[in-house]
Amino acid sequence: MSYQFIKLEEKLQPKDYRSNIEPTWCPGCGDFGVVSGLAKVFSEEKFDPIALTIVSGIGCSSRLPLWMNVFGIHTCHGRAIPAAVGARLAKPEVPVLVTAGDGDLFSIGMEHFPHAARKNFDITVVCMDNRMYALTKNQQSPTSRTGYKGSLTPYGNIEEPINIIAFAIACGATFVAQTYSGNPKHEAEILQAAVEHKGFSFVNILSPCPTYNKIDTFQYYKGKTIDINKELGHDPSDYNKAVELAKHALDHDKDPNAKVPLGIFLKVEKPTFEDKVIALKEKYGASDNPDWNKIIERYKP
Amino acid sequence: MAFDLTIKFAGEGGEGVISAGDFTMRASTYLGLEVVTFKSFPAEIKGGYALSQVRMSDQKILSQGDGFQILFAFNGEAYEVNKPLLKPGTVLVWDGPEGGDFEPEFDWLEKIGVITYAVPMSKLAKEEVGAYITKNMVALGAASELFNIPIDVYKQQILSKFSKKGQDVVDLNFKALDAGINWAKNNIKKVDPYKLPERQPQKDIIILEGNEAIALGAAVAGCKVFAAYPITPATSIGNYLSEMILRVNGYVYQAEDEISSMAIVIGASFSGVKAMTATSGPGISLMQELIGLASMAEIPAVIVDVQRGGPSTGMPTKHDQADLYAAAIGGHGDGQRIVIAPTNVEENFYLTIEAFNLAERYQCPVLFLTDASLSLRAEAISTPNIEEIQSKLINRPLITKDMNVNIDEILRYKVTETGLSPMLAPGVSPKPYAATGLEHGEDSSPRTRPDIRKMMMEKRFRKLENIEEENQHLLEWDLGDLQEGEKADISVIAWGLTASITKEAIQRLRKKGYKIAALYPKLLYPVPAKAIEKVASMSDITLVPEANYTGQFARFIRMYTDVKPIQYNIYRGEPFIPAEIEAKIEELIGKPVNA
Repeated sequence: MSYQFIKLEEKLQPKDYRSNIEPTWCPGCGDFGVVSGLAKVFSEEKFDPIALTIVSGIGCSSRLPLWMNVFGIHTCHGRAIPAAVGARLAKPEVPVLVTAGDGDLFSIGMEHFPHAARKNFDITVVCMDNRMYALTKNQQSPTSRTGYKGSLTPYGNIEEPINIIAFAIACGATFVAQTYSGNPKHEAEILQAAVEHKGFSFVNILSPCPTYNKIDTFQYYKGKTIDINKELGHDPSDYNKAVELAKHALDHDKDPNAKVPLGIFLKVEKPTFEDKVIALKEKYGASDNPDWNKIIERYKP
Repeated sequence: MAFDLTIKFAGEGGEGVISAGDFTMRASTYLGLEVVTFKSFPAEIKGGYALSQVRMSDQKILSQGDGFQILFAFNGEAYEVNKPLLKPGTVLVWDGPEGGDFEPEFDWLEKIGVITYAVPMSKLAKEEVGAYITKNMVALGAASELFNIPIDVYKQQILSKFSKKGQDVVDLNFKALDAGINWAKNNIKKVDPYKLPERQPQKDIIILEGNEAIALGAAVAGCKVFAAYPITPATSIGNYLSEMILRVNGYVYQAEDEISSMAIVIGASFSGVKAMTATSGPGISLMQELIGLASMAEIPAVIVDVQRGGPSTGMPTKHDQADLYAAAIGGHGDGQRIVIAPTNVEENFYLTIEAFNLAERYQCPVLFLTDASLSLRAEAISTPNIEEIQSKLINRPLITKDMNVNIDEILRYKVTETGLSPMLAPGVSPKPYAATGLEHGEDSSPRTRPDIRKMMMEKRFRKLENIEEENQHLLEWDLGDLQEGEKADISVIAWGLTASITKEAIQRLRKKGYKIAALYPKLLYPVPAKAIEKVASMSDITLVPEANYTGQFARFIRMYTDVKPIQYNIYRGEPFIPAEIEAKIEELIGKPVNA
């Protein structure tokens, strides 16, 4: 026995997944593209808005669930992934996505990512990576490039950024991809593949902040991206090749000739945590109406 | 005179002191006796002073008692620590005359009237049995012979504990029992009066340890997700639950830390199932922010805190009642929380179920304060009627797809007279919403307008406005034969394990003729101010004994009522003994009534 996601008979329109609350994002924010992309994928997947949960943390991008007409949990800073794990343990038939920012997922919430990934929870984690903290008005994040000027580091970031593509692979994620909110078609394709992947899927979406980040802009990415699957012919089931490609994901920070790699780095099949729990429950004869006499018996003198 | 006997095993951690106590507890329940155990050991896996004490009686037992009648001292440290507790008529069974690491002061012991029996536990285990680790079984063999403890139960316990390790191990332990029996038969002339009674007809009981009772309560309440991170002394709740919960269609999830445990509880409860976590003080500190989210987003959550000595790492295996502030007001902002505390093992079971009922009813986090001593204490309790309990479970007011409700009118945070709003969950409700820790309007969308902020703040607090009146069963009154309007010599308010110890002290004092009005609140926060003012009005002085330094509940009483209680605080890492509270009350009243 496995679980099946609840789905609709008939497709809804992408707009049916949008709430009537207007996003409070700045004009030109890359995250608008993520909302459109997700709505399109939900429509394609025939997800039911009343049987779908999006979980987020805190930050500009983490407001996303509030703009959607689906179930959502806007949790505390960094805590989206464990709340999503709770939702998965409770109802495996309800698909769960995490949408959060680079600071939320990889700074304050860093301890959760590796565990959900290695356990292979059937969750899609979407990182809206603007490479800085925007809601608190421009500080460096764990993905900020060296030299990035934030309000706490006006002299320029003296740190190296984390390579989150390589990190996600190392953590044991079974699906790892990168896309760009300036390329809606590619973004929707990747999100759909991630949602359809049974297991932990991670999608890093390069999503520029037009207000504060003057380096990692739409202008910067224009013509700089390369599709690793279509243009380089990368086969995501090739783990070694995925690691090799991931190693170079941030080369473009320092090498003006290097490209920004987009596409699916890794996709491998492994049993999900949810399926393992279902198997355990079967082994123990799980029931909502168990034989209580039998359970109580072992406490008798 | 009722039968009331306490046997204590004391020695070094890892010497089998704890299992000696557990086996003896089993033997006394086999005889149909009531039991209450008390165990204490260091946080380390091996070494350090450990004790296991079994109090048995043919009457209901309220506390671990004041001391013991029989002490098994496995080593010199155990003898030294317990020397001040040796009273006229107590029996000291010690590891000698050869092979042990100490010799008691016979002259002094004889002078105060302590009876001593030498049993060379170490020597017999090493030389006759051939395994030092069977020392505790040698002691139990002697105990069986000396005090009429049924040897068959000891043998049964050996079988159930060691069968898995093979017949050799079982035989070795049987041999050790025999060595103890034979030594006692051939070398000891019994001069003490202590003897377990003949077997009484069995009552319909089950035996539970404190943490086991919480695990069983959670399963009965319908908890489907239990998420926790290992921490002493709370870990064993998950241990007891891990297989049981699979049978009732739930799962025990070991999280990466306490923060994620709490987030998992929120995610699961949001999704429509009952969820719980269990931790101790350090974990509560880590969970505070997310407990605030459960208050703000009105998500039912049960958080068990098995209190231990703090702050920081403190004394991980020791008794303390000092997490009340953290549980009730430890978060930032003004949030709604309910704090309840059990006073004995039976309540660990029933109040765990109650914690879920309160969380579901009031849509907020419920903190359940138990403690290290209660976590290990074993009690025999009447077999619960699960069907009856389950028929009275409270479940959240979910709007489901099959209800005839106008979707446009559904508001997750609808402002109502009671403050309680309809709930929604994915997969079952006809309309979604996004829960948020941001201040929000009735439809859950973020709002910061002053009028909406005021309205929602008041709505959330309105839920708990009448919690005391609505939960009188969480206030235990103990008035003895005090008549309506009659003045008491003293009023006493006690919570948690201290309440059950206080109750025994008060029973003794009533026999001496004192008039005492006592209240044992299981609901601690919101503070049940009316009941507290009422009990305080019954006398001129109100005493609040607590095992913490600052008097956390006494200070809440000062904060929320006009009562100015006298505090009696101990903070040594052990629970009160009834005699201490008895003496304190007599001191406060001034003079013994019968003097």
